[in-house]
Amino acid sequence: MLSDREILSTLEMLRSEHLDVRTVTLGISLFDCADSDVNAFCEKIRQKILRLAHDLVSVCDEVGDKYGIPVVNKRVAVSPLAVVGAAFGREELVKAAQALDDAAQIVRVDFIGGFSALVEKGFTNGDVSLMDAIPDALAKTQRVCASVNVASTKAGINMDAVHMMGQIIKRTADATADADGIGCAKLCVFANIPPDIPFMAGAYLGVGEPEAVINVGVSGPGVVRKAIDRARRSNPGLDLGQLAEVIKHTAFKVTRVGELIGREVARRLDIPFGVVDLSLAPTPNVGDSVGEIFQSLGLHSIGVPGSTAVLAMLNDAVKKGGAFASSYVGGLSGAFIPVSEDLNISEAARRGHLSLEKLEAMTSVCSVGLDMVALPGDTSAETLAAIIADEMAIGVINRKTTAARLIPVPGKKAGEKAYFGGLLGEATIIPVPNGELSTEFICLGGRIPAPVQSLNN
Amino acid sequence: MPVEKVLIAVLGSDRPGIVAAVSRVLSENECNIEDVSQTILQSEFAGVFMASLPKGLSMEALESRLQEHLKPMDLSVLIKPVRLSIRYEPPPSQPFVVTTIGPDRLGLVAGITEVMARFGVNITNLRAAFRGGTDPRRNVMIYEVDIPLHIDQQAFRKALRQRAQDLGLDLSLQHRDIFEAIHRV
Repeated sequence: MLSDREILSTLEMLRSEHLDVRTVTLGISLFDCADSDVNAFCEKIRQKILRLAHDLVSVCDEVGDKYGIPVVNKRVAVSPLAVVGAAFGREELVKAAQALDDAAQIVRVDFIGGFSALVEKGFTNGDVSLMDAIPDALAKTQRVCASVNVASTKAGINMDAVHMMGQIIKRTADATADADGIGCAKLCVFANIPPDIPFMAGAYLGVGEPEAVINVGVSGPGVVRKAIDRARRSNPGLDLGQLAEVIKHTAFKVTRVGELIGREVARRLDIPFGVVDLSLAPTPNVGDSVGEIFQSLGLHSIGVPGSTAVLAMLNDAVKKGGAFASSYVGGLSGAFIPVSEDLNISEAARRGHLSLEKLEAMTSVCSVGLDMVALPGDTSAETLAAIIADEMAIGVINRKTTAARLIPVPGKKAGEKAYFGGLLGEATIIPVPNGELSTEFICLGGRIPAPVQSLNN
Repeated sequence: MPVEKVLIAVLGSDRPGIVAAVSRVLSENECNIEDVSQTILQSEFAGVFMASLPKGLSMEALESRLQEHLKPMDLSVLIKPVRLSIRYEPPPSQPFVVTTIGPDRLGLVAGITEVMARFGVNITNLRAAFRGGTDPRRNVMIYEVDIPLHIDQQAFRKALRQRAQDLGLDLSLQHRDIFEAIHRV
């Protein structure tokens, strides 16, 4: 017999604290679709996605219904297109992106990831073509997401790729200028990208992953915040060690939900189960914010002094709870701090509590990096590249994943607002101080060598 | 066919000594208690005991001995034979938990359980979890049920939700596993 407390607390988590499974992502390998003819290639990838993802949405809905926990987003991630379509040029890869978009629309998933290249150590011809195709591909599709890994702890930072990504981000913003550069919201530059992330825009199916796999991303910033609030209300004397324990317990519960639902979806689709990515991923809704957790822990706002410490504690507690709840925790697992997607963080940026520099500092302990940051439209490609380079360095040296999803909003200045709509939210454009003073450094190019691992500091 | 087992229900105002009194009579008569459940609703005690009857003791004899000891304590006793041959064999089913939240009024339980009965959904546990005060949101009923696999699940969910809506209740229907997953290691 279940106890009343167990039942009522679960209901509470679901009803007023936004407990949900944020995303179920079906990874599909496209390696067997390789073909030298682009039309044949597009047809093969379309057919394969339709075959494997045909029931994804309905099965997720049925399983969500059974447990009373909604699966909010259903996505598909595919093998990196720069590898599968290495034989193609720019135009052909744009065509492939459109084929991905069509397939995603037919199977009713909201995003499809994997328009990706891994260039941390150098470029193949396919990588260059794909990177070149990104602006067009993102402008001509609705659902396709792109990512480029330009750095890793083992390889160092490919600064030529970093410079190119600065230029590609500019071109992508221009190609989607009528929608505040929304194409850039679907483009992520990574260091140490994991091959099993279920969250967009970074999701792709890495080499070494199965033919098809179900990865689950659970979230729950609202649940964590309410748990902290409740604990502090019932015992105002709690210290940070005790509050970390509260976060850990909550993360455990949320992860168990994700694993249960992910495994059932995988079983029904007859596809192996991969990992649970336990990341506190906010949405632009009140009560579903990572920023609010900072306030519950006594900071006036995210971004003020103390924010990095809070984020470090939060990230660690979330990982500890998740690691005990599931044997297969993967992806990013930690806390996202996307500016536009989180109402509270967006507001902190608007009020000036959160600057680009503080955001960057916080990314040394968060799960991703500079995420959904709106910048002035006249920020140069070299300045963007320099910001990316800093972010990559944090990842490379700290052996962690970092990413930059920067949006130079065409025609807008610092202080103005950019609107992306839906889950992508809106953000006040933040200034880039001393922006134009990095060009010479960026133009040096080359590869920043991999760091020595034995002399830690 | 001789009766081998009996079910004994005991009702009365709660106070110390009720279970002791019942079990003493049973033990003195060599009736082994095989299963027991008791609950207290507000201030009333309700207990059910399943016990074996030894050879040579009739159900009627046991009943009169129980009455003799429990009547003076102002406890009501009901005894019935358990016939193993007419046992309900549940169909293959899945365990779910239904919760309803909303203002109390006449006929809530009747309304909800009518839908369950119509679809052959068996209630394995039912309780009210009033959390005090006058806030209707704190008025919760919890039904643990077994939903047969063979019934039209969608139709059942739809009918149940519709009924809850008609009764002004907020209803949730969740597989039992979710509660186990969250709360039990």
